[in-house]
Amino acid sequence: MEATNKELEAFSYSVSHDLRSPLRSIDGFSQALLEDEGDKVSEQGRDYLKRVRAAAQRMAELIDDLINLSRVTRAEMRLERVNLTEMALSIARELKETQPDRKVEFRIADGIAASCDARLLKVALDNLLGNAWKYTGKHATARIEFGVTGDNGLLAYFVRDDGAGFDMAYSDKLFGAFQRLHAASEYAGTGIGLATVQRIVRRHGGRIWAEGKVDEGATFYFTLS
Amino acid sequence: MANKIIMLVEDNADDEALTVRALKKNNVDNVIVVVRDGAQALEYLFATGMYAGRDVTEMPQLILLDLKLPKVDGLEVLRRLRADERTRLLPVVILTSSKEERDLIEGYRLGANSYIRKPVDFIQFTEAVNQLKLYWLVLNQPAPRNGE
Repeated sequence: MEATNKELEAFSYSVSHDLRSPLRSIDGFSQALLEDEGDKVSEQGRDYLKRVRAAAQRMAELIDDLINLSRVTRAEMRLERVNLTEMALSIARELKETQPDRKVEFRIADGIAASCDARLLKVALDNLLGNAWKYTGKHATARIEFGVTGDNGLLAYFVRDDGAGFDMAYSDKLFGAFQRLHAASEYAGTGIGLATVQRIVRRHGGRIWAEGKVDEGATFYFTLS
Repeated sequence: MANKIIMLVEDNADDEALTVRALKKNNVDNVIVVVRDGAQALEYLFATGMYAGRDVTEMPQLILLDLKLPKVDGLEVLRRLRADERTRLLPVVILTSSKEERDLIEGYRLGANSYIRKPVDFIQFTEAVNQLKLYWLVLNQPAPRNGE
């Protein structure tokens, strides 16, 4: 097991280090060409070069996301009492700063705490609240909630939004790596966020599921054992 | 006044071309010395091997150091620079693809002055190199040299 982990670590190190390097060349020399010879290339030619650059940058994002996903799986767990209300409030503040003009109401329940790994839970909440923020982006106003609901003694934490939502017929695809329910042109993203969240929840012995309806929003529930 | 020397330790020819391009943008009066592995970097700095006879009082104002290098890797170069009186205080900026935590920690532990992960976006990379130059070559006051 330890040997496998070491091998995995070496693999992801090599991926993050070595795969990015050719991408820098592709992006860099395309940009150099645009700068030095741009006036000799047709409008269409410049558009092609821009597409080459966009693709190189997108691949770099995918590589970074994959590395983060594998890190989440490998990271050592340190359980402690974590104030999730405070964590959600600070993420909400950061999100508002990215787009101060948006009218989004955050409803974050008071006094939510859990025994969990703070770093991993931060990654999970970043993803869930970030998704809620992203998928409400096309509505003039929006509401995003973070709360907890208890049935049969087990607490389920939830993040709810009233944004784009999804078709329940595809709910099993939500958590697959690189699976997306929206076109990249519609909502940016690499399709790795919810796969990451699922791994984090599972590492805590919990479960994650979602409910949604197209154009009416989505709710993501998770438990921590 | 002698031109300020920037030393680039980089084994990848593409990265070298792109970094030199970024360094030359807006400002051409720096001398850029490029070496392609860690052993060459040490030979240059300590005036040995192929650089025997080089005037060692002429030290770079800034060293841009890649980590993954043939022969002697970047962290080992840094370790030896920090262990030698003549190079102990030279500003070293690690410029690498890696953002592995252990590289960051080890880099800082060995006395790197700064750690930059090369962005894939060349416009961002050029901007980062510009800021590095402005900071280390213009704003920063270097430590006085021995005996001065």
